[in-house]
Amino acid sequence: MGSSAKLNNQPANTSLSVLVADDDIPNRLVLQALLERQGYHVIQADDGIQAVEMFKRERPDLVLMDITMPHMDGYEATRRIKAMSEDTFVPVIFLTATSDREGLAKCVESGGDDFLTKPYNRVLLQARIDALMRIRDLYSTVQDQRNELANHQKRLDRERQLAKRLFSNIIETSSLDLPYVQSMLSPMSLFSGDILLAAPKPSGGLHVLLGDFTGHGLAAAIGALPVSSVFYGMTTKGYSIAEIVTEINRKLKKILPTDMFLAACIIDINPGSHTLSVWNGGIPSVIIYGEAEQEIIRVLPSRHLPLGIANEESFNRRVEILEMRQNDRIYMYSDGLTEATNPDGVMFGNQRLEGLFIRNRDSSELFNEIRREIIRYQAGGAQQDDMTMIELRYDQQQLEDTVFHDKTQAKLLESQASAWSFSMELSADLLTYFDPLPLLIQAVCDMQSFRGQRQQLYTVFSELFSNALDHGILNLDSTMKRNADGFAKYYMEREARLSNLREGSIKIFVAHEPNEEGGLLTIRVEDSGEGFDFRKKQLALENNVGHSGRGIQLLDTICEKVEFKGNGNIVEATYRWH
Amino acid sequence: MPVTSEVSTDDNTVTIKISGRFDFAVQNEFRDCYYNAKPGENTRFIINMSGANYMDSSALGMLLMMREYLGGNAADISIINCSPDIKNILTVANFQSLFKME
Repeated sequence: MGSSAKLNNQPANTSLSVLVADDDIPNRLVLQALLERQGYHVIQADDGIQAVEMFKRERPDLVLMDITMPHMDGYEATRRIKAMSEDTFVPVIFLTATSDREGLAKCVESGGDDFLTKPYNRVLLQARIDALMRIRDLYSTVQDQRNELANHQKRLDRERQLAKRLFSNIIETSSLDLPYVQSMLSPMSLFSGDILLAAPKPSGGLHVLLGDFTGHGLAAAIGALPVSSVFYGMTTKGYSIAEIVTEINRKLKKILPTDMFLAACIIDINPGSHTLSVWNGGIPSVIIYGEAEQEIIRVLPSRHLPLGIANEESFNRRVEILEMRQNDRIYMYSDGLTEATNPDGVMFGNQRLEGLFIRNRDSSELFNEIRREIIRYQAGGAQQDDMTMIELRYDQQQLEDTVFHDKTQAKLLESQASAWSFSMELSADLLTYFDPLPLLIQAVCDMQSFRGQRQQLYTVFSELFSNALDHGILNLDSTMKRNADGFAKYYMEREARLSNLREGSIKIFVAHEPNEEGGLLTIRVEDSGEGFDFRKKQLALENNVGHSGRGIQLLDTICEKVEFKGNGNIVEATYRWH
Repeated sequence: MPVTSEVSTDDNTVTIKISGRFDFAVQNEFRDCYYNAKPGENTRFIINMSGANYMDSSALGMLLMMREYLGGNAADISIINCSPDIKNILTVANFQSLFKME
């Protein structure tokens, strides 16, 4: 204690003041002389009432209190003084003539800290004062630390609250309120290291991202901000999950310290092509539960490093694609689910989880059964990790109806319809790594508001483009897609051929002509391929639907006119909007 | 001691042995093991997990820190004797592409 009084005669105590309350004047004078020789500043009171008054006014550091005084005795005066100084420690030493037990007990009871018997001994007095001053210093240090801690805590709480608001504003998504989605997200602390994002695509269908940051709390949650903005921004613009996951990885690699990363699984449910695309880096296997089979029909394990570890050159954006059937269920969960422990510290584990899938008799209850079972299993034990799970039921109609609401689109509604056109040519080199659709759609919708018909437009553009690329340039046979095996093979083959593409090009021409109700949009896509006998094909389509040619048929229903030209290597679609 | 290391000078190998829980609580001890090893060009690091019964994602982060400190792709780090649970955590995160796993 740096400021403790010294035992010698040096006037080291000048800054300390002592109140002496005693109705006996000679007594007071003796004490005054003793104390002043030690360097204390002394103030005096004749009785209890005056002592309280003086204390209030002067706030001395120490009080010497006689017991028997007129008007108010020392006990009462001490009680009042102690009541006035709750936040600080002001030692009160009782001055007593006797040392009878009852009297001493009363001293302590009223708040006295020590007592001194007459006649006064200089050394003893100094020792008592020193001892009490040391206690006072200790008390004030503890008090300061407590206040400092409380302030820290308050500031931390405020920051947490603020960050939490910020965080929930950013990751909040109404997309999880969809009839075919059930989810649970139970954060361990104020912040969760888990994130669950979902956003409808402009072409219909849904992107979902389930992520689990290293560690928990604020640091983990902060990383969620760039993830969600990239996810929502790019999904809205029509980018594929391979491109989104590449961009998130690039961002996180740049901003996160080496020991932090995001285990993530991102999926694309595409009702147009009945497909599910999965990129899984560090999340437990995605489970597909077949409605027809009433059992797990497929698991998609983690195939990649979590996000934020690999650099751009070594990042692997490869996705797995599989076919979906009506009411098949997709389950994604963070490892907190299987690592949930019971009160004995035993983890829930994969086997118990699989058991729930096996025992289930009503698939619509599966999600609730899992949730109930996990909660029951933990029964009172502390939740250790963040625990997140989502179930998506593949409902083609509802997925297609999941419409994307673009706020900026509404603002454009008032803008005038105008005439414009542009064309672009994409070389083989460009096609191997660049998907022009998002940019194309963005450009078209920036030039002209189509009153919420962006989704349909996206479908038109993507069908025309993939028709030109898959069949015109890559010569893929869509009859391959007839069964589930061929389905996967088709997409693998597509990827292989695309990455080896050396020749060929696609020309895209877009023109808009306004009219009274809206306008007429012409989109012409020409590929450098050999084309095909479109007349025969059209006839086949009219007679029998089959597995292939679905895309062109879809176009027919959306567009006013779809025409094959040239050798069948040119497709021109006319889209009327109003 | 949950984390101990021994340096064998003859074949230029540093072995770090983990026991009990491998998580954030042992991060300083773990880091000291390779900080203090003063590795040379060809130092091999072996992380022996035989005594470890638990590992969380912060431990994955600690492994990444170690790998970066020892030169990223140039680092020679093996992880051996993993229990099935720990092996599962490492493979779900695809750490076999960053570390030698035996």
